[in-house]
Amino acid sequence: MSESMRNDAPLVETRGIVKTFGVVTALNNVDIEVRKGEVLGLIGENGSGKSTVTSILAGIQPPDSGKMLFKGQPWRPESMTDALNRGIGMIVQESGVIAGITIAENIALGEYSKFGKYGFLSKNAIIAEAKKALSSIGVDDIDPSLPAFTLDLQDRKIIEIAKVWAKQPDVFVVDETTTAVSQRGRQILYDLVKRQSEAGKSVIFISHDIEEVMDVCSRVTVLRDGNIIQSLDKADFSLDEIKRLMIGRELKGDYYRSDYDGSCGSDVVLSAHHLTGHGITDLSLDLHQGEILGIGGMSHCGMHPLGKLLFGVLKPSSGEVLAGSEPIKNVAQAMKNSIGYVSKDRDTEALLLRAPIRDNIVSAGLNKLIKSMFFIFPKDEKAYSQKQVDDFSIKCSSDLQFVGQLSGGNKQKVVFGKWIGAESKILILDCPTRGIDIGVKQAMYQLMYRLKKEGVSIIMISEEMTELIGMSDRLIIMKNGKIEQEFARSEKLTERSVIDCMV
Amino acid sequence: MKSKIFEKIRPVLSFAGLILLIIVYLFAVNFKPSLFHLQTIIDQVAVMAVLSTGAVFIFSLGSFDISLGVSAGVSVCLGIMAYNAGFGLWGMFVVCIAIGLAAGLVNSLLSTVFKMPVFIMTMAMMTVLTAILQILLDGKTDLKIINDISGPARSVDNTWIRLAFMAVFFVVCIVLFNYTRIGRRNKILGGSAKVAAQTGISVAKQTIVTFLISGAAVGISAFLMITRSRSVSTTTGTSLGMDVMMAIVFGGMPLSGGAYSKISSGVIGSLSMVLLSQILTILGVSAGLSQVYKSVLFLVVVFVASFAYREKTLSRAEMF
Repeated sequence: MSESMRNDAPLVETRGIVKTFGVVTALNNVDIEVRKGEVLGLIGENGSGKSTVTSILAGIQPPDSGKMLFKGQPWRPESMTDALNRGIGMIVQESGVIAGITIAENIALGEYSKFGKYGFLSKNAIIAEAKKALSSIGVDDIDPSLPAFTLDLQDRKIIEIAKVWAKQPDVFVVDETTTAVSQRGRQILYDLVKRQSEAGKSVIFISHDIEEVMDVCSRVTVLRDGNIIQSLDKADFSLDEIKRLMIGRELKGDYYRSDYDGSCGSDVVLSAHHLTGHGITDLSLDLHQGEILGIGGMSHCGMHPLGKLLFGVLKPSSGEVLAGSEPIKNVAQAMKNSIGYVSKDRDTEALLLRAPIRDNIVSAGLNKLIKSMFFIFPKDEKAYSQKQVDDFSIKCSSDLQFVGQLSGGNKQKVVFGKWIGAESKILILDCPTRGIDIGVKQAMYQLMYRLKKEGVSIIMISEEMTELIGMSDRLIIMKNGKIEQEFARSEKLTERSVIDCMV
Repeated sequence: MKSKIFEKIRPVLSFAGLILLIIVYLFAVNFKPSLFHLQTIIDQVAVMAVLSTGAVFIFSLGSFDISLGVSAGVSVCLGIMAYNAGFGLWGMFVVCIAIGLAAGLVNSLLSTVFKMPVFIMTMAMMTVLTAILQILLDGKTDLKIINDISGPARSVDNTWIRLAFMAVFFVVCIVLFNYTRIGRRNKILGGSAKVAAQTGISVAKQTIVTFLISGAAVGISAFLMITRSRSVSTTTGTSLGMDVMMAIVFGGMPLSGGAYSKISSGVIGSLSMVLLSQILTILGVSAGLSQVYKSVLFLVVVFVASFAYREKTLSRAEMF
């Protein structure tokens, strides 16, 4: 953003916003302001309140107290649609796309009256409008007349972006969206943020990726436990300083592992032989005992289906997966062979959001809780779940709390607890640190390293090149469903050399 | 916030409703309930509670089998036919159970093999079973047990036997639901089929086990129905399916199944429904009007039960 475009009168501001959920204070007298042409980054650990304050601005929920002003006028939107129509549009963290209707209908949702005549809807007009919306964000290869379920989760997010962008909001709120989209979606977002700023409008940008925030934003406000800690202008950005402000302490110990010893056991514990299907073509690989095998590539390179094929969730059209010498044809067989799988899509595939933490944690370990051949006793379940809650320091009122009430990082800890509690010896982790903050990320990396040392074998699938390089004993880069290149752990391995073979 | 308070009181809400109905009932009978009153209540509750308790297993998956009542009707009919054909009391019992299990198996296979939505599929099944019942009755309006006065079927027409059956079945279901993998897996499956599949739970196997348990409930309740009425008509069991659904919801079962499913909802709900009917009868409310009152109350319970769910779905308030 050019300095000349900045107008110091805030376009939107909050004054003393308070929001509580039961005994938890999510926001405590929060004042933020966003000026015209500004890209404000909100940053903080999970549960710091950044999504809460933006969701209040965007009309998703009201504050308990405090004032909001938009263009100098009191701001109290009745709903998300109301806020969007009046100038504040937000792309939310969770999926806002309805799978059963067309892409065009999703984009036109809440606006059907515009396309109606004598009680009939003009589908053609809706499709034309959707095409226009998609094209305005530079997407021309998605057919809006198709049902939304034909898109994968990442492309669904693009639909949400188009929907909000079509309304040309004055304030464009991007909540943790860049982790949910592919590289292409990310580029689209960055372009839109730039265009918004150049047009003298504003952006509020939330991301866990501090470097991304430093790159995209012109100012950063750090939140911690519902309080504003500090705001920094671009000139004052420093990775270490932002980390310190977020956590309130220095990060102790290594972030990634510090050694460059890529050695591991010689026993092959999991192998794929000529796997084909679900976008994978004739792929073979071996995972050794105590090895962290990183798998990276562009989002659609086939690495995500590969994780599911290895765990038996998807069936290959040819080829086989072996755990030692035992074939893995379904999830039950995989679990019998002590394999655990952390899905990329945590909220829909790994967790029961409307169930207690305890039910989630014990779900993969029911066989371990059986006594007298048949029975499971609640006291054993409680002890089993409490151990994981304690080991992972899951922040919760008790293990009977709804998982849906937890922050992203704590949710991920529950998923880890579910598989570690089941004593998995092979872990397939698909984007294990997606959408979680730096403190929890570090804890996850340290855990992975400790597990490796204990002989657990790990496949880490990730779109974050730095963590793959930082953690893997061996790194496989995939392209078009095949292994493109393999890298051994080395101090000399750089992001650039890896990315070069990805694209 | 409201939903948090609701979550806290929800476990006791249905029980509190039952206590209230008991108090109102005692008022209605001037605090002088006779043994006859008690036996009438137990007789009515036993059949509905057994069927409802079995149905809780299906409900916990987030589905409902609306054909349960008519399945019981067919089971009653074939049970009586077996008895009349000389298979005796035990033969009748075995036939009742076998028919219940067969109905459950067919429903579960249709649902798992052909991936049909359970509720719609069981609606179609209800029509098929109603037709089968009419064919079995061969144009007659009803079928009675032969040698009704002196036969062994009469010997089991006893309220306490029905109570014992209900109690034993309930205890078995408590164990299955709360102390084995069956109940845990049902709750996971009811929470999310995707999560269940990625946690190694076979959706097909679990669905079949669930329908077989409810099938056993159909068989036992059919047997209890025979011990009481010793006859079957073309309408036997027709309204029972809907009554069971109402009873489970009255009993505090979450509408979407899943983690908070409670095995006690069948018994608590059935008792509440029967008490409500008794109260309305004592107050002289006509059968038609009584049905209207029950339906209105059902809507109120559904509204309250869905209250927390709607708030959770629409608001992100709980996410942070």
